[in-house]
Amino acid sequence: MASYLLKRLAGLALVLLVMSFIVFCLQSIIPADPARSLAGPSAPQETVDQLRQDMGLNDPLLVQYGSFVSRLTQGDLGTSIRTRQPIAEDVLRYGPATLELIIAAMLMGTALAFILAFAQATLQRSGGVRVGMLALGSVPIFLTALLLAYFLWFRLGWFPGSGRLDIRRFSGPTGFFVLDGLLLGRPEVSLSALRHLFLPALALSVPIAVSVGRSLSSALVDVMRQPYIRTASGKGLGAGYIFLRHGLRNAASAPLAMLGLQVGLLFGNLLIVERVFAWPGLGLYTVQSFATSDLPAVLGVALVFGAFYILVTMLVEIAQSLADPRIAL
Amino acid sequence: MRDPVLSIRGLHVRLSRDGQASTVLDGIDLDMAPGEVVALVGESGSGKSTIGLAIQGLLPAESQPDISGSIRLAESEVVGAKPDALRQIRRTLVRGVPQDPMGALNPTMTIGRQMAETGLTSVEVLDWLTRVGLPDPERIARDMPHRLSGGQRQRVLIAMSMAAKPRLLIADEPTTALDVTVQAQILALLTDLAREQETAILFITHDLAVAAELSDRVMVLFGGRVAELGDTRKVVASPAHPYSAGLLSARFDLDTDRNRQLTSLSIDRDRRRPEGAHCNYQARCPLASSTCRLQRPDLKETATGSRAACFHSDRVPELLLSARTAPEWPEPIASDADALELYRIRKSFPAGRSTLFGKKRHTQVLAGVDLRIRLGECVALVGESGSGKSTLLRIAAGLTQADEGDVSWFGGVPPQVVFQDAVAALTPWLTIGEQIRDRLRPLGLNRSEQDKRIAEALNLVGIDPALAEALPSELSGGQCQRVTVARAVVVPPRLLLCDEPISAMDVSLAAQTLNLLGTLRRQLGMGMLFVTHDLAAARLIADRIAVLEKGQLVEIGEPDQIISAPQAPYTKTLVSAVPRLHAQEARL
Repeated sequence: MASYLLKRLAGLALVLLVMSFIVFCLQSIIPADPARSLAGPSAPQETVDQLRQDMGLNDPLLVQYGSFVSRLTQGDLGTSIRTRQPIAEDVLRYGPATLELIIAAMLMGTALAFILAFAQATLQRSGGVRVGMLALGSVPIFLTALLLAYFLWFRLGWFPGSGRLDIRRFSGPTGFFVLDGLLLGRPEVSLSALRHLFLPALALSVPIAVSVGRSLSSALVDVMRQPYIRTASGKGLGAGYIFLRHGLRNAASAPLAMLGLQVGLLFGNLLIVERVFAWPGLGLYTVQSFATSDLPAVLGVALVFGAFYILVTMLVEIAQSLADPRIAL
Repeated sequence: MRDPVLSIRGLHVRLSRDGQASTVLDGIDLDMAPGEVVALVGESGSGKSTIGLAIQGLLPAESQPDISGSIRLAESEVVGAKPDALRQIRRTLVRGVPQDPMGALNPTMTIGRQMAETGLTSVEVLDWLTRVGLPDPERIARDMPHRLSGGQRQRVLIAMSMAAKPRLLIADEPTTALDVTVQAQILALLTDLAREQETAILFITHDLAVAAELSDRVMVLFGGRVAELGDTRKVVASPAHPYSAGLLSARFDLDTDRNRQLTSLSIDRDRRRPEGAHCNYQARCPLASSTCRLQRPDLKETATGSRAACFHSDRVPELLLSARTAPEWPEPIASDADALELYRIRKSFPAGRSTLFGKKRHTQVLAGVDLRIRLGECVALVGESGSGKSTLLRIAAGLTQADEGDVSWFGGVPPQVVFQDAVAALTPWLTIGEQIRDRLRPLGLNRSEQDKRIAEALNLVGIDPALAEALPSELSGGQCQRVTVARAVVVPPRLLLCDEPISAMDVSLAAQTLNLLGTLRRQLGMGMLFVTHDLAAARLIADRIAVLEKGQLVEIGEPDQIISAPQAPYTKTLVSAVPRLHAQEARL
């Protein structure tokens, strides 16, 4: 386990290095001049030249890359052109909102996946569940988000459709408002945060539910045909017990891998969903950075997402090995 | 008979496959006394496994079983029982030992947990693991199944079943997936435990010799009907049904005449089961008359004391006599040239997990093997699993690179290989004709010449050339194996490598395949390497037997010499592990 973690962390560092190189190259080839955009369009040329010198923009590319990497290792992702803040600070400010949303979406997606898989397993001969899953899986995320917002918020008013809270000017120690409400003894904050989470998380969870659900149900169909299931029924165990104790765990590996993959795809969907529901997270931050050609910010966020994705893959592998002792880490 | 523990009356079972229902069991009657051992013998597709599953109420739901008749276990009726009643029956009355122990244990649950699931205490679990002869029961109870060998898993499964003290145990070919050397131990364990607890055993097998060694009575099943039922000794000594006689004469062991081909049953079978008023066996029966085609024979007492479903039981002895005169092998085209030369072959594989610095431990699989096979000669390579015989075959085929040593083929032409799993060795979406044609393409023949060669090759292996248009899925497993042979010999190779080609086959099929391979290599002058764990088959097919143990050839020589005076300890175990029908008869 320890050697697995070490190996994985070394891999993480390597991937980050490669990503940072790509990011650096992208930054270097775009025609925008960071010194000019930082100094402002009206600043005199001398100021800009001085700034270029100070920022090291006149150094050879390799030296620039070296200092870029050394800044990265100190947690410096550069400065956002739009907010004029260090990007790392922006990430820390907007990250918790996005992480809270991702966790909620993964939990909901997993729960829905179970429901879909069980529905398909029990109603095997009816094509209804299959058609339903196909329909759900084929609706593009922006449509899901808009439809949810339109019906459940705008028409029915069951759930709030924008922002994270009804309460203004709240801030908590962790930035996860559901958790902060509990920590500060203000359950109404947690409740409000949960209600706000519901629609964006639901929109994000639909693709997760469909793909993980499909993978889970086909894994279950396969596992329930295995000889050890027959051994278990031959022992006179009940069908429900056999399903839970002998079926489910053996079927876990493929759906777990699918869940990890879906988290990767989630980042793209976050941009849309956070925009639709005005969720003040990294997705919305990225969309706004795009709109103002704030490339350093976009690339900084990409770097963070990349690292996060590698961590998730690692967690998935650990979970798989916990579920199946034959997978040695 | 005391109150029977099992009583089957008029059992009919229809199962659906791909939406087509067919009769699998057609009127089975059977009574078993407490503690009695009954062997259920038949070829694959005879319905023998279906009986075992039906008794446990375990027929798979997706085959939509349609069951009529009655199966009574002690006082409980299985047919039509409610799920709860059925669970109770399985808990206390009947247990099964499966064919393949590798898949029959849950891979993600410890052995101890799986054993304790039906209410055993941890002390009882350890006690049972000890009773089935497992070393270090504490460790095994904590272990996951994948850390145990096949034989150990089968012991666990036997412990699991016998711990419930069932009245009836259904053992469905419990040793076919195991190494020969372990088979005898497992069978002994099973019968000893059953005797202690007065558990009756229904022993499902395709091998009459195994049946003869352990059963009191035998039921021979053909095409879903009982062909013969009676005292095992009587049936083996003087069968009263042509099919039992055929099974007996197709069987081979260490006493079989190796100068002749094996007697083989006709094995071309219609995959649809014939239903209705006729004898099921008549299409394959040498004694069939018009009566057999128009009337269904009932089970009736015969002169030998068993009960057989045959109108011509009295003529079965003459069938047995004629069977002893199978044709001799054709004259071989032999030569002194080497078809294969292996020189000091070494091979290691990485074992265990790699350490942080990427260094891996290696296990040596082959430790310097020398072997020469002449043209027209067959060498059988025997050895238990893990001895490196499959690796050696792969190296001889050029599929795996040796770490050290040289491989040379006659004329430098790579050999052809026949694999154990013939179905997997054929591409499912290409017709068998196309797959054979692939080997003809480099020869620059035109299409009609190619077709002619394909038809010749199929004829040679005894398959109707019209089947060239068929897909592998339309053929039986035995037919698929013959197609892979046809594919290998359509351009006669100088060397044919066979990797356990008969280990998954029942007797009649195995006999036919051995005849086919033995004839072809003599007629075509091919060198042949025949990898097997079956010493009886090795003796029949090969001119020399090579024994591989722990990556080294420990013995090589004439088959009868090796068998009558085995030198290496492993060879001795192998020899004693082969069930011998005639030795058995002599002992009785």
